[in-house]
Amino acid sequence: MKGITPLILGIFGTVAFSWLGLAYVPNLQIGHLDPQSDEEGTDIYPMPKSGMAERGRKVYVANGCFYCHSEQVRADYAASDIDRKWGDRRSAPRDYIFDRPVELGKMRMGPDLANVGKRAPADDQNAPPNASPAAGASPATTGATNAPAAASPPAATASPAAPTAVAPTAQQSASPAAPAGGSPTTAQQPISPVAGAATSLEGSRSDSPPIYSAAWHHRHLYSPRNLNIDSGMPAYKFLYDKRRVGGQAAEDALTLTGDEAVGEGWEIVPSYDAKCLVAYLMSLDQSHALKEVKSTTPPSPPAPGKSAK
Amino acid sequence: MDYGDTEEVQQVHAAIQREKQEPRVGLEPLSIWLIAIYAIAIFCGGAYLGRFSGNFNGESLDPGSVPEKKVGAAGPGGSQQTAELSPADRGKKIFSANCATCHQANGLGVAGQYPPLVGSEYVINGSRRPAMIVLKGLEGPLTVKGSHFGTAVMQPWDKTLTDAKIADVLTYIRSDWGNNAAPVTAEQVAALRKELAGHPGSWHEADLQAVPADANLPGGEQSAEPKPGAPPQGSAPPSTPGAQPPKP
Amino acid sequence: MNPAEIPLKSPGSVTDLSAAEVESVERALIDASIRVPVLMFYASAIGWLLVGTLLGLFASFKMHSPDWISNVAFLTWGRLSPTYLNVMLYGWASNAGIGTAIWLMARLCRTTLRHPLVLAAGGGFWNFGVFLGVIGILIGDSTGYQWLEFPSYAAVVLLVGYSLVISWAVLMFRFRRGESIYITQWYLLGAFLWFPWIYLAAQAMLFIVPVQGVMQAAVNWWYANNLLFLWLGSLGLGTAYYMIPKVIGRPVYSYHLAAIGFWTYAFFASWTGMQRLIDGPFPAWMITASIAAMILCVIPFATVGLNHHMTMRGHFGLLRYSPTLRFTVFGAISYTAFAAVGVVISLRTFARYLHFSEVSEAYTQLGLYAFFSMIMFGAMYYIMPRLVGREWRYASLIKMHFWASAYGIGLMTLMLLAGGLVQGLNMDNPTLAFTESTQSVLPYLRGRTVAAVLLTVAHFVFAYHFVLMLLGLGRTASVPTFLNPVNREPEDSIAH
Repeated sequence: MKGITPLILGIFGTVAFSWLGLAYVPNLQIGHLDPQSDEEGTDIYPMPKSGMAERGRKVYVANGCFYCHSEQVRADYAASDIDRKWGDRRSAPRDYIFDRPVELGKMRMGPDLANVGKRAPADDQNAPPNASPAAGASPATTGATNAPAAASPPAATASPAAPTAVAPTAQQSASPAAPAGGSPTTAQQPISPVAGAATSLEGSRSDSPPIYSAAWHHRHLYSPRNLNIDSGMPAYKFLYDKRRVGGQAAEDALTLTGDEAVGEGWEIVPSYDAKCLVAYLMSLDQSHALKEVKSTTPPSPPAPGKSAK
Repeated sequence: MDYGDTEEVQQVHAAIQREKQEPRVGLEPLSIWLIAIYAIAIFCGGAYLGRFSGNFNGESLDPGSVPEKKVGAAGPGGSQQTAELSPADRGKKIFSANCATCHQANGLGVAGQYPPLVGSEYVINGSRRPAMIVLKGLEGPLTVKGSHFGTAVMQPWDKTLTDAKIADVLTYIRSDWGNNAAPVTAEQVAALRKELAGHPGSWHEADLQAVPADANLPGGEQSAEPKPGAPPQGSAPPSTPGAQPPKP
Repeated sequence: MNPAEIPLKSPGSVTDLSAAEVESVERALIDASIRVPVLMFYASAIGWLLVGTLLGLFASFKMHSPDWISNVAFLTWGRLSPTYLNVMLYGWASNAGIGTAIWLMARLCRTTLRHPLVLAAGGGFWNFGVFLGVIGILIGDSTGYQWLEFPSYAAVVLLVGYSLVISWAVLMFRFRRGESIYITQWYLLGAFLWFPWIYLAAQAMLFIVPVQGVMQAAVNWWYANNLLFLWLGSLGLGTAYYMIPKVIGRPVYSYHLAAIGFWTYAFFASWTGMQRLIDGPFPAWMITASIAAMILCVIPFATVGLNHHMTMRGHFGLLRYSPTLRFTVFGAISYTAFAAVGVVISLRTFARYLHFSEVSEAYTQLGLYAFFSMIMFGAMYYIMPRLVGREWRYASLIKMHFWASAYGIGLMTLMLLAGGLVQGLNMDNPTLAFTESTQSVLPYLRGRTVAAVLLTVAHFVFAYHFVLMLLGLGRTASVPTFLNPVNREPEDSIAH
């Protein structure tokens, strides 16, 4: 090659072209999305997360959770994510518009977390109990859980089982205190105990808190294999403090059993970071229907008036 | 730098002294095989791009994007009206695009050639017969509302229209022009399509007569008789395809 | 002194030297002028290599034994693992690449380096930036973007260091002598100009004016993939284009192949990246465009591979003797494997089973280690004797390094590929519990740890040898250190 000018121009041209094509143009297409809402301007989705959950995202990032956990559900024709009950529908760009940094993930040494907050028992209470495994993830239930939750929080709190508990939706910070005194009824009905991701986690001790509840998350973070012998997750004990019980036991103390049990007079309490992390996990929920995404479950009982195409 | 320096440098660096000259470039031509590889790669890459591009649309998240997505979801965000079209309204569009040529926009057909849909006994009774006809087509002769249509031929639509579109168009023809029959859902059509999957050709009058006039599609509601008390027309049917019609 | 004034091309002024001698004096002058910065880049590269290897070993071990030292925040797997990868990318690979590129640039531009200390200062900044970044990740300041985990305060220092490096590289190019530009220079110039573009664009779109939602992930993978292809890939290919013909002493097979290979590489490889987000929440065309680009990358991969192969043809026997050639050819062959794996795993058909599995890790290792690092080792084996004026001391250590590295990376790739396939197949089967997939990959991850031990051995052997060279303890013979005693061939044909 003789001339320097074509070389330099080519070098800049190629990278500029790829930047235009893969960064600039897509940013025009999907880089400026707004939350969707219905005609009355209610039922807005998605919403920004609470301050605690946002701080929890930092904990999530700092400890590299996203190297093993993805936060995206692939479509039913492309993968078995939906069969695994990781979500009702595929993820769409609009699900992430408030996420920064966005953590789609690149590896699954742990299950997908895109809907882990939705799978918490507090939300299940709002939904009508549904025996059929396939319909358990139908948009009807999700619509039902979300519409009242977003529109009228009092309705959700009126739900009998969980007066204190976690929060109808993402906005509210999930107080870890709640499930410690959690109602036993929630334990009965975790998500559909069919084949799938959840099952594996349930082959655990009978004394474990309801799966994906805040108490469960705390115990799982503190000692994963205490809850699920097959888990490959490292323990995050450094997010918890061991201290002497002063006066009466803290209400957010972890209830630990087996080899993890602490001696009399001691207790394990979550640090603020741990609480935030759990609040973040509980806030992960993509179950709300999106106009641009076809729900993969057949729209036989569609959500009233919405998005059944 | 004086000369003594270079001599010293020269002595120390035996490796430099013995090394071969800087690389040059030969000018061998391209082999034909390589060009063939290029062609294959370009072909495969181009084909892949064409097959899975989703029309370079920012909203098509699925690579093999199905054209039916276009029906309801036009604009992003605010344009609710398009997204909220009722099945009958969608059916009207499909009707005028595909059916109105023969059956006419007013549903009266053409005397002696194309049967009417208004008040037709094949349309306003059970939903099974019209769905059969739309899916698999029909070959005359045929008698509708007492008139004879000797050469009427209707093409099968099962290859052309999706279940949802057939359901919408059925809902439309069964509810407009004074017709007043229950809506049809995509699942019902899908079930019938599956049931008829092995059926080779179009129907004849005898085939249709064999089906009870008020037979409904599987999976749907039981009470599909036209309800005398219901409002005659104009008021759109229930906005969701699966909704139960009000019980009398 | 102005490089243009070096009286090399005018033998009239130095009458008592032959043309060949003039050339070797020229080379000696060039090497002397860049000795300090290149040695500095190399030394820090190898330092980071040791750090990274140990981190990688720990991280690999913790993959299958998660309870091992899990109570300390900065030693948790989620911090060790990104630290490892970033140390390898920015500490080892980039330092080694910059050092080699500076040397190649000086040699090919036939110009001495003026003010080498400024370049060394650039290296200092760069390494300080890496150090800050490593500390940042370990204390929990990671940004959360793959391969860009270094927090902003480290990124700024890195950029300062890099701008010094690139200025000097471009200055050298500016003062080059001779009219034609050799293939290696295309790649090096490309790498030097591409890197700041992608780095700045990613920093701007992720931190300065952050883009919304999933676009961050798109920018992130655009950057990460281009870091692998346009920065490390170009440095590696450029080095191979120099070392192979240089050592065997015959011209590169074809200019046409080289030109096609370079431009198609620049054009198509830069469009890949989104295939790592396959089936994610993106418009389908973005991902498809990257997959198509990956398919089209077969063109440069095949072209460059063929060009190297034809250059080598008839000289494969030299692999028995020359350490440089052996490492470089290993890297060049790995490049083909890297390409093949990359194309296969990007296709939608296979992505269903391979996405989110350890296969993508195997792909990264193939590119970063089997291809790039091996070529860098080869270059170091060539360049070091010229900088320190000594020959490598022990052929046995070089052999040990090569075999431990080759078996190590071979085993690691194999384990990750096989394990990833098993994992992916189990993950795709919804009747199996999810933990089945992670459990089934554990034996392979243990195998990977064995591979990591092998690599650790290789790197410590190499580092020891390197330190001997730095201390001037190499051999003083005028014959290079060959891997095996030369008996048949005339020594001249394999002088290197």
